[in-house]
Amino acid sequence: MADLKHDSAIKHVTGESVYVNDIAAGQQLTGRVVYSPVAHARISLLKLDAAKKVKGVVAILTHHDIPGQNQMGPVVEDEPCLAEDEVTFVGQAVLLIAAETSQAAYEAEKLIRIEFEELETILTLQDAIAKDNLITPPRIIENGNAEQVFKSAPHVIAGYLETGAQEHWYLETQTALAIPGEGKEMLIHASSQNPAETQAIVAEVLGIAKNEVEVEVRRMGGGFGGKETQGNHVAAWAALLANASRRPVSITLSRDDDQKMTGKRHRFLSKYRMAFTDEGRILAYSVELNSDAGAATDLSRAILERAMLHAENSYYIPNVKIVGKAYKTNLPSNTAFRGFGGPQGMAVIETAIDRMARFLQKDPAMLRKINFYGAQPENITPYGETVSNNRLHLMYDTLMDSSEYEKRRQSILLFNREHEFVKRGISLTPVKFGISFTTAFLNQAGALVNIYNDGTIAVNHGGTEMGQGLHTKILGIAANQFGVSPENIKIHSTNTSKVPNTSATAASTGSDLNGMAVKNAIDILKSRLAEVAVDELKLKLNTQSITADHIIFSADSVFAATNPEILIPFPELVKKAYLRQVSLSATGFYKTPGVFYDRETGRGNPFYYYAYGMSVSEVEVDVLTGESKLLRSDILHDVGDSLNPEIDTGQIEGGFIQGVGWVTTEEIKWDNKGHLLTHSPDTYKIPTVNDIPAVFNVKLLSGQPNEGTVSKSKAVGEPPLMLAFSVWLAIKDAVSAVGNHKYEPSFSLPATAEVVLLSIEEIKRKGLGVGD
Amino acid sequence: MSSPRSSIQFVLNNQVITVDFNADTELKPTTTVLNYLRAMPFHKGVKEGCAEGDCGACTVVIAENNEGKLFYKAIDSCLVFLPMIHGKQLITIENLADSGKLHPVQQEMVNHNGSQCGYCTPGVVMSLFGLYKTHHNPGREIIEDTLTGNLCRCTGYQPIITAAEHACSCVDKDKFKLHEAEISGLLAHINTDKSPIEIHTPTRQYFKPLTLQDALNYRHRYPKAIIVSGATDTALRQTKKNEVLAEIIDISNIAELKYFNEQAQDYKIGSGISLEELKKHAAGILPALHQLLKIFGSLQIRNLATIGGNIGSASPIGDTLPLLMAYKAKVRLQSADSGRLLWLDDFIKGYRLTDIHADELITAIHIPKPGQGFITLSYKVSKRKDLDISTVSGGFSLLLENGNVKEIILAFGGMADHPRRAADTEHFLTGKPWTRPNVEHAMKILFHEFLPLSDARAGAEYRSLVARNLLLKFYTETITPGQ
Repeated sequence: MADLKHDSAIKHVTGESVYVNDIAAGQQLTGRVVYSPVAHARISLLKLDAAKKVKGVVAILTHHDIPGQNQMGPVVEDEPCLAEDEVTFVGQAVLLIAAETSQAAYEAEKLIRIEFEELETILTLQDAIAKDNLITPPRIIENGNAEQVFKSAPHVIAGYLETGAQEHWYLETQTALAIPGEGKEMLIHASSQNPAETQAIVAEVLGIAKNEVEVEVRRMGGGFGGKETQGNHVAAWAALLANASRRPVSITLSRDDDQKMTGKRHRFLSKYRMAFTDEGRILAYSVELNSDAGAATDLSRAILERAMLHAENSYYIPNVKIVGKAYKTNLPSNTAFRGFGGPQGMAVIETAIDRMARFLQKDPAMLRKINFYGAQPENITPYGETVSNNRLHLMYDTLMDSSEYEKRRQSILLFNREHEFVKRGISLTPVKFGISFTTAFLNQAGALVNIYNDGTIAVNHGGTEMGQGLHTKILGIAANQFGVSPENIKIHSTNTSKVPNTSATAASTGSDLNGMAVKNAIDILKSRLAEVAVDELKLKLNTQSITADHIIFSADSVFAATNPEILIPFPELVKKAYLRQVSLSATGFYKTPGVFYDRETGRGNPFYYYAYGMSVSEVEVDVLTGESKLLRSDILHDVGDSLNPEIDTGQIEGGFIQGVGWVTTEEIKWDNKGHLLTHSPDTYKIPTVNDIPAVFNVKLLSGQPNEGTVSKSKAVGEPPLMLAFSVWLAIKDAVSAVGNHKYEPSFSLPATAEVVLLSIEEIKRKGLGVGD
Repeated sequence: MSSPRSSIQFVLNNQVITVDFNADTELKPTTTVLNYLRAMPFHKGVKEGCAEGDCGACTVVIAENNEGKLFYKAIDSCLVFLPMIHGKQLITIENLADSGKLHPVQQEMVNHNGSQCGYCTPGVVMSLFGLYKTHHNPGREIIEDTLTGNLCRCTGYQPIITAAEHACSCVDKDKFKLHEAEISGLLAHINTDKSPIEIHTPTRQYFKPLTLQDALNYRHRYPKAIIVSGATDTALRQTKKNEVLAEIIDISNIAELKYFNEQAQDYKIGSGISLEELKKHAAGILPALHQLLKIFGSLQIRNLATIGGNIGSASPIGDTLPLLMAYKAKVRLQSADSGRLLWLDDFIKGYRLTDIHADELITAIHIPKPGQGFITLSYKVSKRKDLDISTVSGGFSLLLENGNVKEIILAFGGMADHPRRAADTEHFLTGKPWTRPNVEHAMKILFHEFLPLSDARAGAEYRSLVARNLLLKFYTETITPGQ
């Protein structure tokens, strides 16, 4: 069977697909969020009289007007819904306005008087570290004795690495529509990766029970982690205004406001040391991962944890010490972003290995290979989980071959010898990414499957669709399990009234968890239908020897394995079941087995399995401007037995290019007052169509099923993003070529043209004997 | 001046729409096409992604009639004021499919998994439709150029490129082809009336002359009015800063300003020519300009933006300005009763400041034909190669005589409050042999000539370094190998 196309593909291309901002409710008001223009201050004066008089203004709310709890922190209650007497970052919501038109709301905002007494700010990680302004206690994962090894090892290198923040840049900005119902009821059309949490937070701020709040998510115009918790905010604000005005209220943040107000990928400033042999075997590695949490905790603990759990990436290291610290600063609270700390953790070890290779004058790809996880005892992670079904060596051999790495490295050497002002570089980097929520209880999912008595099927599950094709994969699973055509199955909007208490669609687990829950519900329904089929077939075949075990669901029909020629069409069976008073609706449930992690000891089995990927990229750098161009990327990625190869390939290509943006042009800058300078696409540069590699070979690893998951597949959402390290380190390789690889280039992430050119100039100075 | 009217007319998909602003209080003359569409039933396909023409989610296609043929252009509807589409056909995503059958560009997007979250998709599809109507079997470069202005955060673009290749390999026989004569007739009829359009609302006045003479009259009567043609810069004052643009003179429909004429000594270019049209004309005859315009904004922006607007806005970066300086371009200014011709260098006075008089319009640019041996090159350095404003730009010209510099022009953008020439460096190099040691010495002089700023795009140190290195780059690209 050909791959199912995205279940909304036709709606997408005709413009029919409905996003929250496309929904029109009657008598709808526009909501506007008035936010802090200062990074840290006490609010000394707030005057609203003039603003309230503006024609068309229906409600202006402060924190005093919150009927419930003034809180929207998802894990730690340190995030007020509206600022009280203090603001802690530029972009923090202070007031809410509901008005008949956006123009009226804007006019009102201009008339609001707020005065601030400014307080001391912390706006850089360096400052936060110096002041030890931790937001959560430090964490540690340790194995062996790294400190001891550093004293005696043949070689030790040490350094710092800065990895920058990243803006999600979902095309659809944060948006919500709140519609009050009778009594306390509130319906929210949300753009949220976590409807259950949106429901919880709306209930909390309104001071009502969860069963009064219904959250519906048809689809998001992109999420990437940015709507895992922060989609809740705009929903809570819309709900407050809708509750106050008793009218539907929609809030859609403008692009600039969205960029200013919402959190980003955590920037990290990491400190590392690595000991190794003459051959390049890593003996010990210690790293301190310092992350910028922003003004509130949000998901910073779990993100830091994942960074720590990926600090060693794909490498077996006998002595490891990983310290994680998250700091509080006066910036918007940073949040989930595809990879969830993994990229920040991996970037450091990839840098260290790259440095080791330059130090030893060896090929970094080869050094990566000799340090890969291997056979026992070299298959134990620093936190004690066994790396089973290791695909690294197979993938390395395959990709080295298909990408012609060796040959190209030689031609790059020649090219660089002949070109003074243009240099090329190449790099291979691996990804090993742990799949599961590291907060073990979150690894659960629910589903509700209804069969209607016309034979059509409605599938509801707790996962949300943000473009990743989850609904399409679920559709494929349901069609397979039921043996019916996908046309007869509809995947419904995610709705808290249909499937309660769900986890976020995050950690790449959407299809693993929800696919299994849906399968569970379908199994239940099939066993009920099988009983009916047995009775029907017994009559038709005039035999008593058929049991439910014999019943097969296939090709929109049901039959007994023993007599495949006698079919009952699926709709007919359903009708029969209905008439026999058999329930045609079932809930399904799934929890991932065997996953646990002890944060105190840094030990456990946090991941159900690992997903692997590897890439080789080649770039060209303009030595005079620092600009780089991606010439070719070869990717091999492991998705087990793919649920949908076309959708998986789309995730890999898209994730990779998003990673390329993070490591190259996506630079976030704040001024020294905490104002975001790069607050629109004018200055914040995500990749365009021209930034993808001219030669782009993406392959799925074949013939490597993943036992224990739905259809032996693997998760795919996040891991490909980290394949972009191959681009980042290829640029570094090209920069290094300017000094004939004799000098270690100064480097950070993103490697903007500016970073690259300044690094090149430094190398040139070193080459001339100027400086150190 | 014939008596003015207060309504505009355009064809929405295939229906003639008349909007009388003086009667309809819901719509303002500065209502953007995006907001106009989204406020209507059944037109929510078009999306706002950034409201500044940087993402393309709001892309629509307009068709213009030229002697019975329709010319299709993708534009960013978030930047276009409703009166700007007067006399044109506006084609939206909802109208591409032909009674339920997907248009080839839609079908191929489905076939090749070109959408994931779907939010950028209507805009992408409209850009592909524009490509479909203008190119058969386009190469990768043309496809990429078409899609530069459409940001997609999900797919990594590869499947969209594939969809474009497939869609544009078939012969154009879509329903638009079928109805071309009919639509072009409607447009021709609308455009016969050359009387100016005047819209007066309590807060805004919008004047849309259709002849140059009327434009100059309005300019004389309303000297404070903002002049717009493509509005790609001005519209942001409304969409981003919520400014009320109280008085606007819209010169986008004046045919007399849209030309490219080759004269004996120079090329005379109408100020109202779009940058995309200019790019096409420049191919082969002004290669540096052609090259620069290829990486200027996006196709949607170039379809709107005009050369006159780019010069008149006098931005410190001003992408085309350094190059036009290197070409020794002149600016033609016209008022109702007189005209004058100025060197571009003299016209640009400071930060977004020009020598234009309150009653003048920029009507033309004169670019001298490059003389024998006169080499002009342009450089643009930006964080991202495409659809990015330059961090530093350079327009350089060189004339050598026996290996010595006879004449050199080094104009920089992004290095000062307005684009300007490096006079000391030019002076140093003039008369000297064009050699690397001399160039390297000149780079030191150049370093002292500018005090660039640090901003969101880059730091001052980087700007300084790049400016110097561009001179070296220019040297390496103007010497023959082995010299």
